[in-house]
Amino acid sequence: MTAVLAAQGLIKSFGDLIAVNGVSFEIAEGETFGLLGPNGAGKTTSISMVAGLLEPDNGTVHVAGTQIRTNSTNGRSDIGLVPQEIAIYPDLTATENLRFFGRLYDMPGETLDKRVEEVLEVIGLSERQDDLVSEFSGGMQRRLNIGIGLLHRPRLLILDEPTVGVDPQSRNAILESVEDLSGEGIAVLYTTHYMEEAERLCDRVAIIDEGVIKAEGTRRELVSLVGEKDRIRVTVTGDLVEVARVASELPAVHEASPADSGVDVLANDASSVLPELLSRVAATGANVTGVAVSEPNLEAVFLHLTGKALRD
Amino acid sequence: MGAATRIAGKDLKLRVRDRSAFIMGIVTPLALAYIFHLVFGGTFSEEALDLQVGLVDLDDTQVSQSLGEALSGLEAEGVLVLTDFDDTASAEASVEDGEIGAYILLNQGLGAAAIQGQPFTIEVVGDVDSQTTTQVTSSIASEFGSAIERSQLSVTTAIALGQPPPPDELAIWGEEAALRPPAFTFVDVSADTRQLDANTFFAAGMAVFFLFFTVQFGVVGILEEKQGGTLARLLAAPISHTSVVAGKAILSFALGLISMTVLIVATHYLMDAEWGPPLGVALLVVAGVLAATSIMGVIAATATSADGAANLGAIIAVILGMLGGTFFPIGQGNDFLARLSYLTPHAWFMRGLANISGGAEWTEVLPAVGALLLFTLVFGTVAWVLLQRKLTR
Repeated sequence: MTAVLAAQGLIKSFGDLIAVNGVSFEIAEGETFGLLGPNGAGKTTSISMVAGLLEPDNGTVHVAGTQIRTNSTNGRSDIGLVPQEIAIYPDLTATENLRFFGRLYDMPGETLDKRVEEVLEVIGLSERQDDLVSEFSGGMQRRLNIGIGLLHRPRLLILDEPTVGVDPQSRNAILESVEDLSGEGIAVLYTTHYMEEAERLCDRVAIIDEGVIKAEGTRRELVSLVGEKDRIRVTVTGDLVEVARVASELPAVHEASPADSGVDVLANDASSVLPELLSRVAATGANVTGVAVSEPNLEAVFLHLTGKALRD
Repeated sequence: MGAATRIAGKDLKLRVRDRSAFIMGIVTPLALAYIFHLVFGGTFSEEALDLQVGLVDLDDTQVSQSLGEALSGLEAEGVLVLTDFDDTASAEASVEDGEIGAYILLNQGLGAAAIQGQPFTIEVVGDVDSQTTTQVTSSIASEFGSAIERSQLSVTTAIALGQPPPPDELAIWGEEAALRPPAFTFVDVSADTRQLDANTFFAAGMAVFFLFFTVQFGVVGILEEKQGGTLARLLAAPISHTSVVAGKAILSFALGLISMTVLIVATHYLMDAEWGPPLGVALLVVAGVLAATSIMGVIAATATSADGAANLGAIIAVILGMLGGTFFPIGQGNDFLARLSYLTPHAWFMRGLANISGGAEWTEVLPAVGALLLFTLVFGTVAWVLLQRKLTR
């Protein structure tokens, strides 16, 4: 698949502080790519360079084949930016905000009118389109913030921590709308320090800390990279020692041990090992009353890679 | 240019909605100018310079009569109104009644003393409430006395040089010299000291003073966009940094122009302010707005926050306004302050207006317009460079 975004060797310093040091990644069409890291990790600096707001000290950014520079407008129409702060005008209505930014992207009259209506529908603000934004709730403002980024149909949408300070209901609505974007073929660059969001939304994740990408890949690749296993709790009645023994004979099982009213199994890939495991347990005459699978998460990966928690 | 006008249009809509520019650019200066007009208008006006002067000539010689002739000449020029009195009692009564502001008393023997080179006295009696009239009358009397002394000196010098004329000729010579009336010359004042009438002065002073606050709403908008997060969105759009800066400058210029135009029209009809020929005023206003925008642009470029820029801008605007003579003609009687005031655009604006408000040709405004455009060039260049640099940080 063609890369919509290609960031190569990005370096940016502020005085003695190296904020970003050699960051490289690519995002394909329809792919959602997450930059996961704690506050101050270099996420916002990285996306500022991608969006052409900051000139890198070194490295290049190409969007749809065009190099992005701070002193050039080339390629800007292919980028949609949703800043971390709510970047809208409170004393304008929702429609006025959308129209103003649409005109900056040279959207012609009828196209703009139609697109404004579509976006208002997508973000659920059609009925409040003529109200001043200052009268909106925080969640509604967040949705409009995203809507402006989508308005001109960018090929790359950059979302910088779009759910910070949002109530759970609005947060879920935002995440759902982001999930829909990949279906529309938009490449999404999503920065967050919420592990759950990265796991839910992103096809691939780069873990960034102190300006450096520590690891990159799918969730599964990242987890396997650091040797973390899936944990399967099989609740059974019968000979627990025998159940543990037969379970441990499976090649994908790393460890199996009796526990309270069941057996704990550590395996490389729970979904692939589970059918065979249950079959063997049943063969011992034990009665399986429940199965619970807990996969290792990115929080654990981050801890493993950096020695600190995401929210440190 | 399209993006710049779109940004300016959006900002204008925001300013109209929050009414801040309307209050700062029109309501406040108009209210203050009108209050000043009501409180001080009469005392500053030319009509108030009503010099009622009396003369008591007890000497009644050709020498004393020469002063009367000189005063009559001034009366004919419309400088003062002269009243002759036969005695000091009636003159004093007239002063007491406020009919005249001051009178000159020429005692008996003045003519003889003048011719013979003897000491003489000229008295001026004035009303304590008519200090201007008293001061002017004293100056006239002093000049008359000096003229007599000069004639006495010329006679004395001739004697000292060993060329004493015969005694009868000496008397005639002295009398002729003393009889020469003092020369009071009234000329049109220079442009440096030409003054506006009170109504126009306060109208123009308040307009140009608040102009600096009004134009701030445009250029300081860059800092507000930065604080509000929208600057990142503007810079990520396919528009140049120049468009963003130009958009803010256009708004400053538009607000300044609207504010000045409304104030000029309003003060003309409400306060009888005489701004002068429209073309000259238009040139002066455009140049003044450009200069104000440039200076406030430098402040916006150097401040780190919108509040900081507003505070710094207010301090600078007040200092420049005071020094530039928008509240009172600061340079009058003080050469140093007068020269210093020309470091401000305000002084050039007021000077330009003074040059044309009295009915002069519009071209009289060109030196002031030139000076204001120089301010624009210098500060505008600095602001442009610094603001562009600010956007790339």
